[in-house]
Amino acid sequence: MKYPYYPGCTLYSKAKNLDRCARKAAALLDVELEELPSWNCCGAIYNTNIDDLAAQVGPVRNLAKASQLGEKLVTLCAACYNVLKRAGGHLNATGFEEERKRILEFVDERYERDVRVMHYLEVLKEVGFEKIKQRVKKPLNGLKVASYYGCLMTRPKEVLQFDDPENPIMMDDLMATLGAEPVRFDFKAECCGGYLVVNRRDVAQACSMRIIENAKTWGAEAVVTTCPLCQYNLESAQSAKLPADKRMAILYFTQVLGLALGLGEDELGFEDNKLDPKPFLKEKGLL
Amino acid sequence: MRKRIGIFVCHCGINIAGVVKVPELVARVKAIPDVVSALDYVYCCSDPGQKLIKETIKEKKLDGVVVACCSPSLHETTFRKAASEAGLNPYLCEIANIREQCSWVTSDRDEATEKAEGIVRTIVAKVREDQALERLKVPMLKRALVVGAGIAGIQAALDIANAGYEVVLVEKEPSIGGHMAQLSETFPTLDCSQCILTPKTVEAGHHPKIKLLTYAEVAEVSGFIGNFRVKIRQKPRYVDIDACTGCGICLEKCPVRVDSGFDRNLTKRRAIYRLFPQAVPNKVVIDAKNCRQLQGKKCGVCARVCPAQAIRYEDKERFLDEEVGAIVLATGYELFDISKVGSYGFGQVPDVIDGLGFERILSASGPFAGEVRRPSDGRVPKRVVFVQCAGSRDANQGVPYCSKICCMYTAKHALLYKHRVHDGEAIICYIDVRTPGKGFEEFYRRVTDEGVKYLRGKVSKIFRRNDKVVVWAADTLAGKKIEIEADMVVLATAVVPNPRGVELARKLKIAVDANGFQTEAHPKLRPVETLTAGFFLAGCGQGPKDIPETVAQASGAAAKVLAMFGTSELYHEPVIAEVDEEICVGCGNCERTCAYEAVKVDKRKGKAMVQAVMCEGCGACSVSCPAGAINLKNFVKKALMEMVDA
Repeated sequence: MKYPYYPGCTLYSKAKNLDRCARKAAALLDVELEELPSWNCCGAIYNTNIDDLAAQVGPVRNLAKASQLGEKLVTLCAACYNVLKRAGGHLNATGFEEERKRILEFVDERYERDVRVMHYLEVLKEVGFEKIKQRVKKPLNGLKVASYYGCLMTRPKEVLQFDDPENPIMMDDLMATLGAEPVRFDFKAECCGGYLVVNRRDVAQACSMRIIENAKTWGAEAVVTTCPLCQYNLESAQSAKLPADKRMAILYFTQVLGLALGLGEDELGFEDNKLDPKPFLKEKGLL
Repeated sequence: MRKRIGIFVCHCGINIAGVVKVPELVARVKAIPDVVSALDYVYCCSDPGQKLIKETIKEKKLDGVVVACCSPSLHETTFRKAASEAGLNPYLCEIANIREQCSWVTSDRDEATEKAEGIVRTIVAKVREDQALERLKVPMLKRALVVGAGIAGIQAALDIANAGYEVVLVEKEPSIGGHMAQLSETFPTLDCSQCILTPKTVEAGHHPKIKLLTYAEVAEVSGFIGNFRVKIRQKPRYVDIDACTGCGICLEKCPVRVDSGFDRNLTKRRAIYRLFPQAVPNKVVIDAKNCRQLQGKKCGVCARVCPAQAIRYEDKERFLDEEVGAIVLATGYELFDISKVGSYGFGQVPDVIDGLGFERILSASGPFAGEVRRPSDGRVPKRVVFVQCAGSRDANQGVPYCSKICCMYTAKHALLYKHRVHDGEAIICYIDVRTPGKGFEEFYRRVTDEGVKYLRGKVSKIFRRNDKVVVWAADTLAGKKIEIEADMVVLATAVVPNPRGVELARKLKIAVDANGFQTEAHPKLRPVETLTAGFFLAGCGQGPKDIPETVAQASGAAAKVLAMFGTSELYHEPVIAEVDEEICVGCGNCERTCAYEAVKVDKRKGKAMVQAVMCEGCGACSVSCPAGAINLKNFVKKALMEMVDA
């Protein structure tokens, strides 16, 4: 299966490991990710105001490019997923016809058709968790992991239609597929603090610590994420607030996927994790 | 063909005469061919108005009458009765609606007068073609079926049985009493629910006129008002109900333990069980899914210990046929599946329970013998948060309507908690407190006076912090976001119709609304009847309600059944479909179209046949017939064409 793929800026800088593991895991699952040519930044969070038309142009240009390749566009970063999918949703909203025309006037590429923006997890779902289970080389037995979706994966539910907005389970199911023990917890879809970390580090840390503490209450030993900013916040809050021996490993779900599918230690990009997960994974007998 | 038609134009005070120019209308319609009299009167429905109609019929020897007035749904019966008293067949008296369809919706007086004339002309054209019809007599079986034996079904069954008529009372659970049997005490008087319920269950269980079928469900209903045939599915109980003495030895010896649904999964029961100790009938039942023996494993303990030798592992599902004249649906409610509201953590976060769960905790026969303790560790909770509107009034995640009973039962819960845990803190998070009922507001006052705290704001999230349950809410009066660390949370979960009741209603073609509640024939004036003759409604299957309201509605439904049984024969409107067998080719279009299953193609004759008493006169078959072989009496195609032309 071949899918057009949009990595996004962060996956080329801070979150290389999220991207690389995803590509390698996809190859092991016979999924071909074809990178969108000359893509641009999705606009991060700036297009959430529907009447700010200039901010829609960036994501729509990516959609227009994707529309020339096919009907789907795969994203990996939770923020890119949210932004691109919402931009597509806005474009098709009734009563938005005039604005749609104006936005498309600013986009050089022809907008051939509506594109279904998918998250990588949804691609895995299309591949089939059963099939993935058969490809698992190293079952993650005994790994108690909390799946953290953050606020961008599930909401607004009318547009994203990803999973239950308050209690999503798709990533939990994937973890179970890989042999790990998914730990349900109460803060799966609460905000990590996001960009508040720039000017209100204290608030962002409080948000992140709530998530960490709740995951611990439910017995999690590690947290998996889909978003580079969540990853950064959950790691840096722990570095600031907890002694080294109390910190929990924060892993990208693609790292965990790659590990289970048999990628080597040097391919998983653990050196880019701020909190080194290797000792923990060694202790669990997974490295 | 009617040749001597009389017209009566009603002013309806100024309702009609304020817009329609009545004298001009009278003058114009008098000129219609075959009209021999046209009169007007200020209120035709009044006694003098009816007298005028009767006298004119006799005097002018009228053979058809048109009353131009309000909608036929209001006074058609009045005027037809008057016509009949004057010796005219009532079906030759028709209504021309010039109020709802003309004067109320038209402002220009000339236009209104013209339109009124058109309406009257149309109806005159119909009356010309009308036939004298006779009402159809329907024999009636004076025996009732009541579906569901909660408090609604029990009350309806007792009322009908005490009037001397036989009742078949069908209950899907192994014993009767419904949800009321799970409750602790009832608001606002705090009577013990079991204590006021059990005399009723015992009476229903032993009533000579009540045939009680428990662990049974209605599978099929055919026939029509006065003559229903009902097929009842008796689920296998695996226990001989006549032999079982209810001694309870098997309940102690059975090795299997599963969650007790009756106790909202807060306790365990055995695979052989009864719902509660005062069950009526006091007979056990085996839950086949969890029984070792019935799942093919080695066991048979209950059969060995039963002194009455009542165990029947070979029991099979059976079907019983009953014939009844009227059916009362008392199918009751369930609680909304609040685990669908992911942020409330129900079923996941320990010590988050629903309202019925807390009833069981408060109950002397519940998991902690009436002491308030937490399900997770048995500790006495020192701070309890009660969350109102959990799923109710929430079109996004729950149901759009108000479940009506939660404000009161939550107030009761908080008060009973305070009575049992004196130093405990009870906090109620609410959106609005609604207390419209006798003694309700006074009860709410009492609850606040006794120290229960009310916080106005919706709860956004419930989660676990170590062994506490944390509630995030808003205090909208203080304008603050609040966090409460509690020991236990009770969700006042929305009331939804019992899904089995919704299924049954759909099967019986009883209308249900968007939320699955059975729909009454008229929201104000016919609250216990349905639009299908012979079916009546009682209890929460029709909408959320408390116990006194449920009992009142059940008695209302019973009174309707008894009123029916009180007459010797039933009558059916004669405006029904009629097949012209010369033209009918038996294609079956009408059979597929009919919503009432009143038209069937007779295979032997190859012609459509109308079951007269089941026909509701809607006319759908007539329209669907490609050959034009079906006509609705007094709405024959010729008359309809003439009406259009007029």
